[in-house]
Amino acid sequence: MRSFLHINIKGRALWGLCAALIMAIVITCCSIIDFSVDQPDTAVVGSNTTMKVHFTFHNIYGDKTENFVFGFLVPKGWAAAQNTKISYTSTAGNGNLVLMPSTTLEPQSNGLNWPAAMKKKFGIGGNLIDDMEWVVYQSDVGFPLSNGENITGNLTINIKIGADGNNTLCKLGYAIAESYDGLHDPDGNIDKDPGVKYEYFAEMITPCFQLTGGPGDVVDFCNPQLASYDPPKTLDNDFFTITYDGTVATTALNNAQAVYLCATANTADGKSITVCEQTVKTKLTQTAAGSNRYKITIWPRQFFGITDAQTLTNMTYYITDATGNIKVGYGNTASPFTYTFKCK
Amino acid sequence: MKQLYKQNRIKWLLVLFTVMAFASCKVERLSPAAESTKDISGDWTVISATRNGTDLMSLVDFSQFKLSFKDGKYALINKLPFLVSKDGTYSFDDPQYPFKISFTATGNPAVATAFTYPIVNGIRQLTLTFSPGCPGNTYVYTFKKAN
Repeated sequence: MRSFLHINIKGRALWGLCAALIMAIVITCCSIIDFSVDQPDTAVVGSNTTMKVHFTFHNIYGDKTENFVFGFLVPKGWAAAQNTKISYTSTAGNGNLVLMPSTTLEPQSNGLNWPAAMKKKFGIGGNLIDDMEWVVYQSDVGFPLSNGENITGNLTINIKIGADGNNTLCKLGYAIAESYDGLHDPDGNIDKDPGVKYEYFAEMITPCFQLTGGPGDVVDFCNPQLASYDPPKTLDNDFFTITYDGTVATTALNNAQAVYLCATANTADGKSITVCEQTVKTKLTQTAAGSNRYKITIWPRQFFGITDAQTLTNMTYYITDATGNIKVGYGNTASPFTYTFKCK
Repeated sequence: MKQLYKQNRIKWLLVLFTVMAFASCKVERLSPAAESTKDISGDWTVISATRNGTDLMSLVDFSQFKLSFKDGKYALINKLPFLVSKDGTYSFDDPQYPFKISFTATGNPAVATAFTYPIVNGIRQLTLTFSPGCPGNTYVYTFKKAN
């Protein structure tokens, strides 16, 4: 055959070699045969907790050195980057995972770094409060890969859990990938061997995990709450939005015409200030007519009328009707909702 | 002979024209107009506000809040959460091309923040980004001059 470049290419073998090379470039890496996680259902705040991740990469093409990548979805308050150690054993070698530098970009996400790319791709794993983060690690060394090789690995995650002291319910997430293809969208180039489940990367969200025994607040990422906060973490000088969701449970306030905030705040200098009135100042606005969801945005410093020298540490509150006689508290009980002003 | 004289005359004329053509050119030196110093004196009101990207205008009444600049001093009228909580002085990192504005509340250290000063639909705006409470909560207020 004579190509337009006037180069003679003879023989089927040469074409075949070219095709194989192109295939090797297109299908650079990996599918994943198995991926599983062992984690406890509960743990005590401050304890050392171990989770294990098992995986097998399969169908490795090309002649590349790649790092193994691991993403861990956890509440931000755990400060997992500082409180976690992860080691690995694998058929390619043993070692430790190290934090992915924040300047390393995920190859498929147009300029996002790895944690941002995982959040964009996987979200926050069905948790209801956007106060979770993907903490991303990579293997301390890269592994030279060869065609058709399988790599089986085990991660051992040791975390000093619950740095914020909160009694937390949340869904943890685990993701594995490799540094060259990153979070490449599945494109059908998966090896058709039986048992192959994932193409390029794998992600798993585990059922609700419970942390107990801490001195902090109860923070439930798993279940819809009567009251929720935006932002989840604030100080008294933030705008603070409280949403009361009457659809979560049948309460004495069902279909009330209007609901109000009845709150008591404590200051760092030991004072207690109560604002419990049924006026425009404390009225929650229904988010949509008939929605049974109401919200109020307050600037706590102004709402409780503290002086420049004072700061607020926490508040307790009820949601009331227009008379102030019907009160709904935490979990639809007689106890008040509690909120601590803190950033971690 | 006459022919030769005629040719010389044409040559001289050509030389003369060339000299005149060059002499008529003049190097014009353009001096760039000096960039004006940014004057933000006056009262400014909030026309848009976000918290971590969420719109705040529908949640909070900003209509009474004003930021007033005059003679190197600023004042907060009907205070809301802001970069500073007390009145004081302000300055730019560069009066002609400011990228940062710093506020020094009386008795407090200066706090600087990113500053943009665009003209949008013919109206000068002032956009400030800051965190008055937790560092993780970012607020962006856009002001326009009050009438």
